[in-house]
Amino acid sequence: MPDHDRPAPFMQRHHFLLRRLHSLAGIMPIGVFLMSHLTTNSSVVWGLVNANRIPEGHAGAGTFQHEVNFIHSLPYLILIEVFGLWLPIAFHAVLGVYYATTGRPNHARYPYQDNWRYTLQRISGYVGVLFIFYHIATLRWGWTFLIPGGTQWEAQYAASTLAMALQGGGDGLTTPGLLVSAGYMVGVSLLVFHLANGLWTAAITWGLTVTARAQRRWGLVCAGLGAAMMVMAWSAVIGFATLDPAQARLAEEAVNRGHADPAHVEPAEILTQNPEGGRP
Amino acid sequence: MPNATSQNGTVEDPAAPGVGRTRTVRFRVKRCDGPGKPSRWESFDVRVAQGEGANILACLQRIAANPVTAEGAKTTPVVWDAGCLEEVCGACTMVVNGRARQACSALIDTLAPNDGDEITLEPMSKFPVVRDLHVDRSRMFHTLKRLKAWAPIDGLYALGPGPREQPARQQERYAYSTCMTCGCCLEACPQFRLEPQPGRWDTAFVGANAIGQTLLFNEHAIAGELAPDRLDEMLAPGGVSDCGNAQNCVKVCPKEIPLTDAIAAIGRAATIHGLKRFFAR
Repeated sequence: MPDHDRPAPFMQRHHFLLRRLHSLAGIMPIGVFLMSHLTTNSSVVWGLVNANRIPEGHAGAGTFQHEVNFIHSLPYLILIEVFGLWLPIAFHAVLGVYYATTGRPNHARYPYQDNWRYTLQRISGYVGVLFIFYHIATLRWGWTFLIPGGTQWEAQYAASTLAMALQGGGDGLTTPGLLVSAGYMVGVSLLVFHLANGLWTAAITWGLTVTARAQRRWGLVCAGLGAAMMVMAWSAVIGFATLDPAQARLAEEAVNRGHADPAHVEPAEILTQNPEGGRP
Repeated sequence: MPNATSQNGTVEDPAAPGVGRTRTVRFRVKRCDGPGKPSRWESFDVRVAQGEGANILACLQRIAANPVTAEGAKTTPVVWDAGCLEEVCGACTMVVNGRARQACSALIDTLAPNDGDEITLEPMSKFPVVRDLHVDRSRMFHTLKRLKAWAPIDGLYALGPGPREQPARQQERYAYSTCMTCGCCLEACPQFRLEPQPGRWDTAFVGANAIGQTLLFNEHAIAGELAPDRLDEMLAPGGVSDCGNAQNCVKVCPKEIPLTDAIAAIGRAATIHGLKRFFAR
């Protein structure tokens, strides 16, 4: 029986609000950030289109360096990180683990696809939060003792130092490096699934997709989005695990010195875009 | 041709000519002598005639008439619950071959067509066991009372004719009105857990059937007056937000009630109700 003399615990009094904030945090800011983060990181592959603008070294690495330089030019970056990323991720993770422990997965008895995704959503959450912690601790907080090879990630040499962290040093892929790269592959794949499936369930939770048909349609959209993000995630991990740090360093220095600019537009291109004549 | 063995191993019963071939079906039954007592497995062999249309309850009656295990040991009759025998009351719901369903509509010819086939019977795991296959499902009734699953028409004077009901809306609600509170959706739900203590029933997850009934009564022209009260409960601990979207409920429902549609519709109503409460109260 409810005890009316004592106020209910905080979690019970704000049960619905916390549930909805947990759902919201997974999409915004965390999900939106993951999309932009994978876009940035896969630039090590798609940045190869800038080969003519970054003549020295690996053009993908140069493009990635250009993206990182932009991020590090943002004002109050530490506040964006703490309040826009780390605290929302901690909130989503702590509540998520608590909520997940209230369920008892039963895919063995009821092996439906939806039920498998229920179980996988929880597994991907558990593994995903460990992976995110390792990722941030090693690369952002400088816990280099967790990096095989003990190299430090540096923002001004973003691509080459990331490649070394994934490969286990600067002399090609070592066995510990291969393990780290494989761990990244598993971690990002699970997180992409977690977001795509989370978007599907969130639409039911908030009441956007009510009928089974609407849920199937939105499921296709989520699967498409997940597939696209999976391509970006894999290309980023494979791109950095196979990147030659020396070639990356050449491109980074060219970009940092201003000798190469992936966003640079040739005057001739301005002229073709503006037939009136290149008024600046 | 008496006693001729046919292709699927069944034998014609000389004692019951004309009924068709009979076969032996083995029942593995999870037994329990009472609340809190340990469980054990016992096996029983039951003779079933081809085409007699026997269901699991008929076989349990044969076991009760001769409670001897397959190993020949004398035991107590297996206890079960039953009511209508036509899949509209939900009393005989049990776990048949690992899946929650009604024992009355579980036909032996479908489940065990060949001689020596085995059928596993367990009590539902989400409700306290009374004995053997009989469970105490009173938590579901408690939840329906918590959600005010009724139309408030009691009073001291005649209320006059009720509001007009649109046939289209009535058709939508009809599916939810076929719910017999059997508990299949709860047994299959990874979020719904056994709560033997009634004190926990007001904060534990209400489950799919209760959310379906919330939609049924909220959409009713008169019962809808209590919709805000029901949505308050849906926002509370154990309400709709505790659903994990595994969607097993809709797949095991014997009445094919669109329970996941109800969960999403109540989720939408809860979102709006929650926003109203947050900003206007």
